[in-house]
Amino acid sequence: MSTAPIPFGSVAEVQAGLESANYICSTQIATAVYLALELDKPILVEGPPGVGKTELAKTTAALLNHPLIRLQCYEGLDEAKALYEWKYAKQLLYIQVLKEQLGDVLAGAKGLQASLERLHEFGDVFFSEDFLEPRPLLKALQEEAGAVLLIDEIDKADQEFESMLLELLSDFQVSIPELGTIRAKGPRPLVFLTSNNTREVSDALKRRCLHLYIPFPEAPLERAIVHARVPEIPPALERELVAFIQALREKDLKKVPAISETIDWARTLLLLNAEQLDGQLVQDTLNVILKFQDDIDALTPELPSLLATARKSA
Amino acid sequence: MDASLQRFISALRMAEVRISPAETLDAFRTVDRMGMENRQQLKESLALVLPKTAEEKLAFDACFDAFFRFEEFSDAPQGASDDESGEGDPSGDGEGSEGQGGGGDGQPQGQGSESRNSDASSGDPAGDGPPGDDGADPFGDPGPGPVQDAQSALGQQLQQGDRAALALAVSQAGEAVNVAGIKVFTQKGLYTRRIMDALGQGALQEEIGALATQADPTARRTAAQLSGLRDDLRERVRDFVERQFLLHADADGHRLREAMLRHVKLSNVEHRNFSHLKRLVEKMAKRLIAAHSRRRKKMRRGQLHVSRTLRKNLRYDGELIDLAWKARKIDRSKVFAICDVSGSVATYARFMLMFLYSLEAVLPRVRAFAFSSDLGEVTENFQRMAIDDAIATTLADFSGGSTDYGQAFDDFLRVAGSAVNSQSTVIILGDARNNYGNPNTKALREIYDKAQRVIWLNPEPERSWGSGDSEMPRYRASCHQVNVCNALNHLERVISDLLVAVR
Repeated sequence: MSTAPIPFGSVAEVQAGLESANYICSTQIATAVYLALELDKPILVEGPPGVGKTELAKTTAALLNHPLIRLQCYEGLDEAKALYEWKYAKQLLYIQVLKEQLGDVLAGAKGLQASLERLHEFGDVFFSEDFLEPRPLLKALQEEAGAVLLIDEIDKADQEFESMLLELLSDFQVSIPELGTIRAKGPRPLVFLTSNNTREVSDALKRRCLHLYIPFPEAPLERAIVHARVPEIPPALERELVAFIQALREKDLKKVPAISETIDWARTLLLLNAEQLDGQLVQDTLNVILKFQDDIDALTPELPSLLATARKSA
Repeated sequence: MDASLQRFISALRMAEVRISPAETLDAFRTVDRMGMENRQQLKESLALVLPKTAEEKLAFDACFDAFFRFEEFSDAPQGASDDESGEGDPSGDGEGSEGQGGGGDGQPQGQGSESRNSDASSGDPAGDGPPGDDGADPFGDPGPGPVQDAQSALGQQLQQGDRAALALAVSQAGEAVNVAGIKVFTQKGLYTRRIMDALGQGALQEEIGALATQADPTARRTAAQLSGLRDDLRERVRDFVERQFLLHADADGHRLREAMLRHVKLSNVEHRNFSHLKRLVEKMAKRLIAAHSRRRKKMRRGQLHVSRTLRKNLRYDGELIDLAWKARKIDRSKVFAICDVSGSVATYARFMLMFLYSLEAVLPRVRAFAFSSDLGEVTENFQRMAIDDAIATTLADFSGGSTDYGQAFDDFLRVAGSAVNSQSTVIILGDARNNYGNPNTKALREIYDKAQRVIWLNPEPERSWGSGDSEMPRYRASCHQVNVCNALNHLERVISDLLVAVR
C-alpha cells in the first residue's frame, strides 16, 4: 500500500490552502489536517454544532482534489448500508438468464460428481466484485487516486457500528467473508469523523484518531470568516454583528448561535440592506440566530443592553 | 528529547489525562515529523494526539505550559540563527569567525542566558549587545576578544549553547538522581545540588577557578563567561526541580486527599472541601457512565415486519426462510429519589442528588422530591439550574420544619403516586427519625407494592436503627433493599448497583 505524496510542506501551507478555498481556520485546525496527512491517521472532530466540522472535510477534499465520500450515521446503521451489499436482484436475474447456458456447460458430464467438478471450474462467479454493491466505506477504499471519507455524526450510530469501524480506521482494510480482506487500492483515504458529543465515543476509537476540538471562534477569526463568506457586507455592520454574536454566546441559552448562524444572519441583513444594527432590525431577524422561542423570549428584554455592548466593543 | 517527552507523558497521566502506549508512540512520531523548533506548533500537534476530551485538553494545556517552560524553543527568527551558529561553533572554525565582529564572539553562548537571566553577573555577552558589554565583568576582563574552548565536559556543553541538548542533559541528570521522587518542598535545594553535581559541576568549578587566576586575558574572559553560564544553568535547574515538585509531589497529595474524601463521613466534611467532593463526584459519575453507557437494547418481539422479511429473503430467491420481526422497545425504568433535607441529613441529600444528576447521560429520567415536613417535587430545579444552584434552592425551600415521614409519603403518593409503576425504582434517603410522629407505614407499603424496587439509604450506622425515635425497623419491612450510606464510596456502590438493576 502506497501513501500519497503529501501536497503540503508545512502547516502554514495547509492553512493558506484552506483559506484560499474560503475556509478560514485557526492553526490548530490546519495542524490537524497536516498531521493527519503526515501520519495517515483519521481525525475525530468534535465541537458544538455549526462550527464547520463537516465543512472542514468538504474543503479539504476540494483542496486535495479528491472525491468526498460521505457517510451519514444514524441509529440502526449497519454494514449493509455502510460497507457493502450483494446485488441480490442482479444475481437472480443473471441466474435466470444463464439457466439455459447451464445445459451447455454441463454437457457430457456424467453423474452428480462430474457436474459439480465442472461447475467448480467456473469459480464463484456470482460472488465476485461484479455483484458487489460498494457502500461509502468500501467505496473510499476503492478510490485509486485517494479520497476523503467523511463519517458524519458518529455519535448517532450504534456502538456496534463503531466497533466495526476500528478495523477500517487502523488498517484501512475491510473483511468480506465471500471475498476475503479488501485493502485500500490507492493511497489511504483521509478520514474525518465528526461528533456532536451526544454520547461519548469509545476509547478504542479515540485512540486511533487525532482528536480535534473546534470551539466557537474568537471575534477576529469570526470576522475573517464572515468576511470570507459574505464579502459584500459593510465593514461596520460586520464588526457589530460579530460583537453581538460573541456577546450572545456568553448568555445562558438553550442553543447559542454558531458560525453557520452568524453567516446566515449576515446574509439576511445584507438582503435587508442594513448598514448598521438597530433594535427593531435585530428583533425582527432574531429568529435567524436563535432557534428556540424560549431563547428569543428570554433575550428580548435584554436586547438594548446587548446592542449597546456590541456597539462599544465593535 | 525522547526522555523529556516520556516524562511529559507521565506528568500528563498524573494530571488524569489517559494516554495509552499506542498514543505515546503517536506522540513520538508526531514530534519526529513536526520537529521541536516551534513551540506553539509542537503544542498544537501534541494536543491532537494525546488528550482526547475537552477536559483533557484543558489539563494538557496547563501541563504543557508548566513542563516545557524550561526547554524554551527558539521560535524567534533571531533564535533560529543562534542555533545555526551554535552548531557551527564546535567544528573549530568558530574562533576565526568570531574575531570578525566585536560582539559576535558571545553570540552562541550568550543568547542562551539572555532571555532568562538578565541580572547574571556575566554581563550578558549577547550578540546584539555593544562590544563593550564584556567589560562589565567582575573579573575585570579586558574588553572583547576571543574566548578559548572549555576543557570540562559541562563547560563545553554550555559554550555550545545547544539548549535542547542542555535540557536533555538536565532531565537525564534529574532521572539519575530520581527527582520524580521529590515529596516535600524543603527537598528542592537538595535536588538542585544533586542535579548540578550529576551534570558535572565539580569539574567546571575547578576549571573556572584555574582560568580565573591566569594572566592570559582570554582565559579570564573564558572564566567569566563560564561562571555566568553556570549561574544561569543553576537557575534553570532550580526551575526544573520546582516544576518537578509541582508535577509529581502535588499530584500525590491530591490523590491522598481524594482517597480520604471517598471514605470520610459526608457530614464531617468541612465546607471548604465541598468543591473537592464535587469534583470527586463528577469523576465517579463519569466512571459509572463509562461503565454503563453501553446501551443494551431491550426489545420485545412484536409482529412480523413484512417488508423487511421480503427484502431479507431476496437472497434466498424470495423464499421466506429468515423472518424479520417488528420490535417494541422496552421503556427504561424511572427513578424517584425522595430526600429528607432536614438539618441532620441535608449534606447526604446534597451529594446523592449531585450524584444522581451527574449521571444524566445514563440515567435520564430521575425525578427528585425533597421534604422535611411537606414534600415537593424539585426535578425542575435540576433541569433548569446548575447542580449547585439547584441544590441550594432545594435546601432553602424545604429544609425548614420538623421531619415528618408519614406526611411526606402521603404527599409523594398524591404528587407522583400515579407515575410509580412496576418499572420504577424509588430511592429514599433519610435517617427515619420521625420525631415520634405517625410513621404511616401504610403509605410506604403502598409505594412498595407499586414500585419495582424501593431502596432506603440511611446515613446512620445500623446499630442505631430503632433507637429513640428511629422508625427504621418498621420501614425496613416495606423496602426491597436497605443500606447504610454515609460516604461517597457507599453512594457509588449503591448507585452502581442501581444502574445494573435499572438498565
